[in-house]
Amino acid sequence: MDPVLLIFMVGFALMAVILYTGIGFIPGTDETSVLMPITLALVLAGFEPVLILSFFIAAIVTLNLTNTMPTALVGLPGGVMSSAMIEHTLYIKANGNIAATIKKMAAASLIGVLIAVPVSLLLAQLLLPVADVISPLAPWLFVFGAIFLALISRHKILSLLSILPLAILFESLRALYWNLNIVPQDQTITVSFFLGITIGPLMFTLFNLLNKNIRSQETLEDKNTIVLPKDDKEKTSLNPLQVLNKEERSQLSLGALIVNTLFILSPVGLTILIGESFSKRHKDPLKKATMTVITMSAVIQATYISGIIIPLFALGIPLSPVAIGPGAALFNAPPVLSLDNNLHHLLSTTEFVVATIIGALVALSISYILISRYAKVITRFILKHIPHESVLGLFIAFILLLAFMDAGLINIFGVLLIGLFSGALNKMGVNFGVQFMALYAAPQLMQILAGG
Amino acid sequence: MKHSYIKVWGDTVKPKTLVSSLFIIAFSTFFFHLLAPSGENNDTLGLFFGLFGAVFGFLITVFAFKPNRHITEEEDA
Repeated sequence: MDPVLLIFMVGFALMAVILYTGIGFIPGTDETSVLMPITLALVLAGFEPVLILSFFIAAIVTLNLTNTMPTALVGLPGGVMSSAMIEHTLYIKANGNIAATIKKMAAASLIGVLIAVPVSLLLAQLLLPVADVISPLAPWLFVFGAIFLALISRHKILSLLSILPLAILFESLRALYWNLNIVPQDQTITVSFFLGITIGPLMFTLFNLLNKNIRSQETLEDKNTIVLPKDDKEKTSLNPLQVLNKEERSQLSLGALIVNTLFILSPVGLTILIGESFSKRHKDPLKKATMTVITMSAVIQATYISGIIIPLFALGIPLSPVAIGPGAALFNAPPVLSLDNNLHHLLSTTEFVVATIIGALVALSISYILISRYAKVITRFILKHIPHESVLGLFIAFILLLAFMDAGLINIFGVLLIGLFSGALNKMGVNFGVQFMALYAAPQLMQILAGG
Repeated sequence: MKHSYIKVWGDTVKPKTLVSSLFIIAFSTFFFHLLAPSGENNDTLGLFFGLFGAVFGFLITVFAFKPNRHITEEEDA
């Protein structure tokens, strides 16, 4: 491979590390809305696919590691994934040593990446021979995926019933835009629709607050009080094998290994499932909480890595929640990439493996050390200087922009419609996974409905 | 005088500050987006200009407003 390209790959990975270390520490930053637009911008700018891949892998590794820090330190989840561990970190904060736990979480995260990268590359390689059989079935797989995710979710009937109305909503907006000649017939709006789903719960909350009666009920007299824990005085080793004991290492490694084979399932769901069920056997509540957050830290990394590597390398179609959401721009970003011509088709095996490994290693080596040493300093800085209002404003502006670019002014309100509907469903208990799958299954579902 | 706060996404915000932040950032985003030179790569440039505008607006609000949270630190035992 061209050595200049290798240097650029390291550079792109570094860029991702710097950018997403900052974003990761900001509480409440949703993974999809911070990963997707920036990746999309790089794809549309026409950068080499290998550079984009190493950027993306470095971004998810950094983000998943840094997101757990505000969660553990001050009880504000850094992102959607880390909200899974919040009750456990709050318990450790009240009853144990959170500073020491943070170092364990960072080490667990590191091991999670080191396991997930080779295992998911291997699994992808194994899937490759059947890829030609699977790919044409994609529309059907999305339909079954939506039903499957609904059936394993907490509210099965509710989720099942919401699939068709969601699909009709998406397809009717697309049909409207075609009819009005806002969007050419051969172009399908997807990106802004799923950002609409992502922003749904926030939109729903904000609209609720426009109702005076609801607002007066929700109004608080005082600000949130945030307590930063005291420092861990001991200078501990950075070697993950010393930070974690043998029992911890074997439990989290097993967890990280298993989730690789379950890449089509929702990452948050998997994180809760594996993290909590693996730790049930511990009687002491503090130990149980610690084992849970450590396992979750490793599992979070593994769900993201396998969720992007396996579908991208083996299939080229977004067949996992990670690929459909945060990684969508690697699969489909018209006019540069499409489902028939994306990173899967453009990269050779060597390029794919090298870009992935460079991205993961650059991200790990920097952010692991940074977090083990400076997690508290960075968190304090962010909390003191970045208003929550600015973060919310930034999100909404991102989504307004992408909605406008997809299909003009009308689509800002189209995305608002999607946000309100899917936000309401979300509050009732229909998870993101089901909704994202419904978006991808929508065209096929409409054909089934119209034909039957 | 007591201020009133609302809790959105796990943290407290002032409604007025939230509305101003939304407007400032959205305005700056679209201002830069529409400023992007048109041409062959209009979409890409437009996206870059828009993202830049979003970050620019974000920074304005970061400097203009104070976070609405109390921060305390546990004392060393």
